Amino acid sequence: MSKELQINIEEFLLKNGKKGKVSGLTPLTGGASAETWKFQFSNEKNSEHLILRRGSGKKSPLAVLKSEEAEIQRKVKSFGAPVPEIVAISLDDKDLGDAYLMNLIPGESIARKILRDDKFSLAREKLSFQCGEALAKIHSVDLKDFSKVPKKPIEEELERLYLTYKSFKQSLPVFEYAFKWLNRQDFTKRKDALVHGDFRLGNLMIDESGLAAVIDWEMVSIGNPMLDIGWMCINSWRFGQSDKVVGGFGDLDEFLQGYSSISKEKIAKDEVRIWQILGTLRWGVICLIQVYAHLNGDVNSLEKAAIGRRVSETEIDLVDLLFLGGK
Amino acid sequence: MIFDRPTSEELVEVVSEFLEKDIKNHLPNHLAFKTQIAINVLNIVKRELTNEEVLKKETQTILLNLLKDSDEANIKQLAKQIEKDDIKLDNVELQEALIEITKKKISVDNPEYSTYKKLIK
Repeated sequence: MSKELQINIEEFLLKNGKKGKVSGLTPLTGGASAETWKFQFSNEKNSEHLILRRGSGKKSPLAVLKSEEAEIQRKVKSFGAPVPEIVAISLDDKDLGDAYLMNLIPGESIARKILRDDKFSLAREKLSFQCGEALAKIHSVDLKDFSKVPKKPIEEELERLYLTYKSFKQSLPVFEYAFKWLNRQDFTKRKDALVHGDFRLGNLMIDESGLAAVIDWEMVSIGNPMLDIGWMCINSWRFGQSDKVVGGFGDLDEFLQGYSSISKEKIAKDEVRIWQILGTLRWGVICLIQVYAHLNGDVNSLEKAAIGRRVSETEIDLVDLLFLGGK
Repeated sequence: MIFDRPTSEELVEVVSEFLEKDIKNHLPNHLAFKTQIAINVLNIVKRELTNEEVLKKETQTILLNLLKDSDEANIKQLAKQIEKDDIKLDNVELQEALIEITKKKISVDNPEYSTYKKLIK
């Protein structure tokens, strides 16, 4: 498998004008919808570390194709956002399948390490501001360049989430309440923007001086930019450090200051709270999707079964945000 | 009860401890990680077996106080009443019921969860 892949990558890079040898091909995470490989690419002149991201071939309703993900990253980078450089893109059914190659950005993506290891202590101090800046850059790209990105108006997204929740026939009064409450909010204040869709620790490469790159663009859409802001601030991504509202490492004020240092949009904390509620509910529905993939027999998975009992974590966060002044 | 000791709780507990003490540390990382998930699951089952009866009764009392009709006092009916606007979002008793019922669920699913620990302080 890996010998064949090595030759395929070498041939593909040669077609793209890069002659050399692939070595040290190592699989990284094995997500459900994508595989990721790390390797070294060398010729007489130099040697570099590259990443291969390849789709499973199955089109997921939640995710864009890998080739589209790469195109989007390339354009976002041209607007100055911290994103790995795309080296080559392979289209579906050709070369490497639906895949792309990018530069490896040295750093750490595992949340618990970033939040606890001493070597990231300086990074943690700056990270909140830097994440705000990065999101503002992503949100201010010119949408003319992103006409192929799926449009997901938040009202439609909420409806889709509600129908998904309903399809499992599992009564959750807190979810019913939160959906009803959210349907009464005004989401018309913001202009459409490019939305990353899964902006949180785990999808950010962090080095000792802070944010190095925003990765994992498969949930990208055109929609309400507040989705990214709220998502970064939900308790589910604080990994126990719940007093640090932003990702378990930072303060909301610094995050919003970072954002407004780039963007003209003014964001009030009250508005963030609405999107924290929405984000928490969204994560709760994603947990349900995962557990029902197991319960319906699509996959047999201990992890997916176990995540079903994490739905109550999102419920307690929801009642805290809705009724008890939670942050 | 027709079964002898060990009780189901005691059986689940001993398997959880076996995985924790004798197995987990001898496994490569990715299997140790999965084993930790298995231990967590068994601990959920143990807490549920221990507390189920009391939690069920307490939840029933909350639902009866809120929904009155004893035939209709269940979680499904509560969700339906919220959906149909039969009960208003600003109803303080509803809000309190949602808080209390959710606390009971998470006390079994994950009593170490940060928000739960904060709320029971």
